[in-house]
Amino acid sequence: MNESVVTGSNGASINETLARLVEKTEALTALLISRHGICLGQAGGGARLNATALAALVAGMFSATKEVANIVGEEQFSILLQQGKKRHIHISLIGEKSMMVIVFEEYSRIGRVRLEAKKCSSTLVRLVNQDRKDQEQAIQDISIPDFKEYALNLIDRIFVIGEEEDASP
Amino acid sequence: MPHLDLNNRQLVFKIVYFGPGMSGKTTNLLFIHKKIFDKYKGDMVILDTEEERTLFFDFFPVSLGTVQGFSLKIHLYTIPGQVFYEASRRIILEGADGVVFVADSCIERFDDNVDMYRRMTTNLGSYGVDPTSFPIVLQYNKRDYDEVIPLGQLEAILELPDDLPVTESIATSGKGVMRTLQLISKEVIRNFQLDGSA
Ligand SMILES: Nc1nc2c(ncn2[C@@H]2O[C@H](COP(=O)(O)OP(=O)(O)OP(=O)(O)O)[C@@H](O)[C@H]2O)c(=O)[nH]1
Ligand SMILES: [Mg+2]
Repeated sequence: MNESVVTGSNGASINETLARLVEKTEALTALLISRHGICLGQAGGGARLNATALAALVAGMFSATKEVANIVGEEQFSILLQQGKKRHIHISLIGEKSMMVIVFEEYSRIGRVRLEAKKCSSTLVRLVNQDRKDQEQAIQDISIPDFKEYALNLIDRIFVIGEEEDASP
Repeated sequence: MPHLDLNNRQLVFKIVYFGPGMSGKTTNLLFIHKKIFDKYKGDMVILDTEEERTLFFDFFPVSLGTVQGFSLKIHLYTIPGQVFYEASRRIILEGADGVVFVADSCIERFDDNVDMYRRMTTNLGSYGVDPTSFPIVLQYNKRDYDEVIPLGQLEAILELPDDLPVTESIATSGKGVMRTLQLISKEVIRNFQLDGSA
């Protein structure tokens, strides 16, 4: 599946911001993910990743960490760091509603990763909010009755009810 | 609650398969994943224990196509049904646009179904969702058992609305699975409105 191709007017600048961060930190890739597990932007082709699955998992992980934080009397851990043999990930909260995932290889660059992540955090928060506003505007242009009719047709076409209905148990 | 994600011009609807442990939620998703053509689906993520019990969730995305310039997607999730995973269930249910409640038709599991349904409505309520006006499909799974809970019994004890869609299924053979998915997806689409809450 062709995932997370950003087309929105501000989507481009989310990707640009991520691209600059990838360049400065020499990371493999950086992604912006919504709290509900949807990929909002990506830069860096250094790692061939399934961004959709990664987004769902990271969002789950972050929510779980929040629950863990609550249990030990913290509100939230704002950074998660996972150290592997060759690759490492740095995950940080971007405002209340999204998080950034940076995948990198040289562990010695962690200082730089941390710094750059922090530096672009407020820009990203602003872009995400702006993006949301633009999209809300754009979505007002949708004709709801037409949208629904077309979507219902797609559902009929893609979620096909097949011969299993006749199969005896 | 956020009914859609407006970023990147994609509308993403989240459908969660809820229900007691071993009722067949993962089996539903596996069948759907097998059945849908490759070009519409992403890889399936399964987070389970060695005994294949769901530990956190199962997940895969479906891309239905482009509607009026927006790319329309459905994300399918299952929750872990074992009672002690309550915290994980809450996390996954958040932001759901619709739920399939997979009930186990086995008579001995009657109380487990009822208990889990109540947990679900409590969780939805905690996110400010009114379960009586929220898209839900009740699926009586495991209809291949010799003795099954008669249709209507769960609805009665749970005092569910008369117009709640109900299906029968045998998830292991796929019977009723795609029909349930169609029903819930359509409920979710029909329920969709521009209330700016996203
Ligand atoms: N006979 C019969 N068995 C089924 C049916 N659906 C699922 N099963 C079996 O029931 C068992 C549990 O199915 P799962 O899909 O893993 O159940 P689950 O709801 O995901 O369980 P948890 O992840 O623990 O919450 C498996 O052995 C399935 O093969 C059905 O319709 N009929
Ligand atoms: Mg399961």
